[in-house]
Amino acid sequence: MFSITTYFSAEALLLLLVTVVLYACLPQKARRYVLLLSSYIFFFSISGKLLAFLLFSTLSVHHIGLWLSTVQNECSISTKGLERDKRKALNAVYQKKQRRIMTFACILHIGLLVLLKYTPFFSQNINALLGLLGLQFRIPVPKFLIPIGISFYTLQAVAYLFDVYRKKIPADKNLLRLALFMSFFPQLMEGPICRYSDTAEALYEAPKMRYDNFVLGAQRILFGVMKKLVIADRLNLLIQNVYGEPTKYDGFVIALSAVGYTFQLYADFSGTMDLVIGAAQMFGINLPENFKRPFFSTTISEFWKRWHITLGTWFKDYIFFPVSMSKPMKKLTTKARKKLGNHYGPLIAGSVSLFCVWFCNGLWHGAGWNYIFFGMYHFLLILSGNITEPVVVKITQKLKINRSAFPYRCVQIIRTFILVCFGEMFFRQESLKLGFKMFGKIFTDFTLKTLKDGSFFKFGLDRHDYLIIIVSAALLFIIGILQEKGICIRSSIAKKNIAVQFAIFYALILFIIIFGAYGAGYVPLDPIYAGF
Amino acid sequence: MIYIKRIFTVIMFTLGLAGLLIGSSYIFLPKSNGLNSGIEEFKANGILGEKENSIDVLFIGDSETYSAFIPLQLWQEKGYTSYNCGTSGQTLDYTEVMLERTFEKQSPKVIVLETNAIYRKFTVKNVLFTKVADYFSVLRYHNRWKTMKLDEINKPAEYTFTDECKGYRLKTLAKPAVKDNSYMSPTDKILPVEKINRQSVEKIKKLCDENGAKLIFVSTPSTKNWNYMRHNGIAALAKDLECEYIDLNLLTSEVPVDWKSDTVDKGDHMNYFGAKKVTSFLAEYLENTALLTDKRGNPDYENWDKALDAFNKMLSEQHI
Repeated sequence: MFSITTYFSAEALLLLLVTVVLYACLPQKARRYVLLLSSYIFFFSISGKLLAFLLFSTLSVHHIGLWLSTVQNECSISTKGLERDKRKALNAVYQKKQRRIMTFACILHIGLLVLLKYTPFFSQNINALLGLLGLQFRIPVPKFLIPIGISFYTLQAVAYLFDVYRKKIPADKNLLRLALFMSFFPQLMEGPICRYSDTAEALYEAPKMRYDNFVLGAQRILFGVMKKLVIADRLNLLIQNVYGEPTKYDGFVIALSAVGYTFQLYADFSGTMDLVIGAAQMFGINLPENFKRPFFSTTISEFWKRWHITLGTWFKDYIFFPVSMSKPMKKLTTKARKKLGNHYGPLIAGSVSLFCVWFCNGLWHGAGWNYIFFGMYHFLLILSGNITEPVVVKITQKLKINRSAFPYRCVQIIRTFILVCFGEMFFRQESLKLGFKMFGKIFTDFTLKTLKDGSFFKFGLDRHDYLIIIVSAALLFIIGILQEKGICIRSSIAKKNIAVQFAIFYALILFIIIFGAYGAGYVPLDPIYAGF
Repeated sequence: MIYIKRIFTVIMFTLGLAGLLIGSSYIFLPKSNGLNSGIEEFKANGILGEKENSIDVLFIGDSETYSAFIPLQLWQEKGYTSYNCGTSGQTLDYTEVMLERTFEKQSPKVIVLETNAIYRKFTVKNVLFTKVADYFSVLRYHNRWKTMKLDEINKPAEYTFTDECKGYRLKTLAKPAVKDNSYMSPTDKILPVEKINRQSVEKIKKLCDENGAKLIFVSTPSTKNWNYMRHNGIAALAKDLECEYIDLNLLTSEVPVDWKSDTVDKGDHMNYFGAKKVTSFLAEYLENTALLTDKRGNPDYENWDKALDAFNKMLSEQHI
């Protein structure tokens, strides 16, 4: 049977190839149907009959959007020509009605996500609590099959409805356009989380395939495959061993694995995004970027503006701002500002919003305490950064340290990277207890013994593996620096003559074929973010 | 005009890529077939180092195969030359490749296919990879960049290594099986062979027919891997393909496996003592087919006597 497991599987690439060929050959009106059909085939080949969930979400989003639009139209017609007071009163009535619709929509979509993804986790914890209380009663722990990409397309659906509710966009009457927006197959499994205004129109327009888009897209796909096969899959040999039985390893190996896992996660997820964005580019669709060289971040806050960008902006727009701008928070800010001043005053309400964001962010990644801890860890880091900022500014000013100087920024980058690695260590380790053990071992059992006696090279990766990882990391680093300087490498390549372009393509393909971690002895890494 | 130019560009790119793949495949192809040559499954691929057209019987399949058939015992008892091409977790797509490779240099009269491999799952993707990797060996041997030396690049491939046990893997440890012979309780139920597996077996049969070899299905004793449903499935397949089928799990008096002492891992695989019984039975069976001739005493096969001496020495070193 045609079954897709990852974007990097032969089946997924075959589906992409067939879609590209059909898309290139068919007229515009048929192209949009090709995209939709491929998207549903893609979904069905992973989740089978659970496609019904996606169809249900699409239909309900379409219907609720129109419902909201009807109420909004009714409101504007009914309030037309009315006196201010009456208009205000009627507006409030309609506003209340819209809120009720949005509450229903959220219960429906977020509720479905919570039911499928989190009920077993909540049930297990309730049972554990009942056990602690000495009660015999237990609630059943259900097991659900989860449709692929539900965490991603649900957020897209909710964003669309909120945007209609806020009158940022009109409700879409065209079901096909909305269905394409909800299900476009390159982004279905791991994002990026798109906004309706970003992609829906382009998907529906299904622009003519252009040669330069095709070449640029293929380039980007190859770059993504390189990250996944050469770096992420190779690191898997070490990560699986160390995270599987961390107590067997000393602090040095654990620290290195923590760094390795952070790098693996980046290579896997950003590599997938390269493939996704490249595939969309082939069709002439521009998807939003999800990564912007996160390891160049000087603070945790900045890191999250560069890592999984579309998730961060979603939380900002649909959780942080609504909570911050809510009436109780506004009141709190006004009171606090009077007592604590302009920096610390707004920080209190901001912290409440920040807490909501990071609690949801942690939970979004998975139903587990390690994910909640991960969220809270970042909440505390960002919060402490906000609290200490004025103090740090004062100290650096007194010590006459230039905060924008290169050495200072280097220290900040290294500090941020270390903090990120610690966070990802807990993120990867399913057991919080083991996560803390690993953390403790880095400080209490740090020794270079395994490096000296050579046993370090027997934990999954040998010297050659490390060499190729370092070379690949250096390559990414150099590309990152150039991009930070505003140099667009792909455009530069596109301007070169055909022989140079061929040579670059060949070099990349050979690099993947020779140094890719595939075949006998390798276990490919399951797509990490597809599980969230 | 622009379309013609683009089509030309695509063709040129594809040709260039094919050239690169062929070139790199030549570079990465192991230049010998020994232990440190980088060749996959070097023991099984030891058959490539055997003298041309010198092998009578080929054993092929997964780990059940290399645990249960002892080529040098067959030589000792009947004077038949054989090689064990069993590899761990071998799936039928790889069996096909091994057979194709073997038939290029050898003309075995009997191919013994251990039936556990027939039930091993594989996908069209595996088949495609195996086939493509056969043309572009860089895909299979790309990892050799770790061990390759510069002087290897231009060297022609010379496969002269052959395994001292002719592909058999000697294991003398005994771990008793949990189940006894009750694992073969009769039933009418059939465990069907997957479509893709069946197609592969059909190809193997065709390949054997084209090369004048008799294909025999043999189920070696295994309490973990075998049962009556599987027996029925293979019996039906053998009937359809007009192949002979021997299920040693049912021939308990002819192959009296002692599940306390003849298995290396609780009934999964045979150890040397179990393999000895299996091979003895098969030696008699092959003799009765009258397809093979006794080559003992033939000066062309002197190296088999030497190999047998080395094997017996190995056994005596292990106090067997």
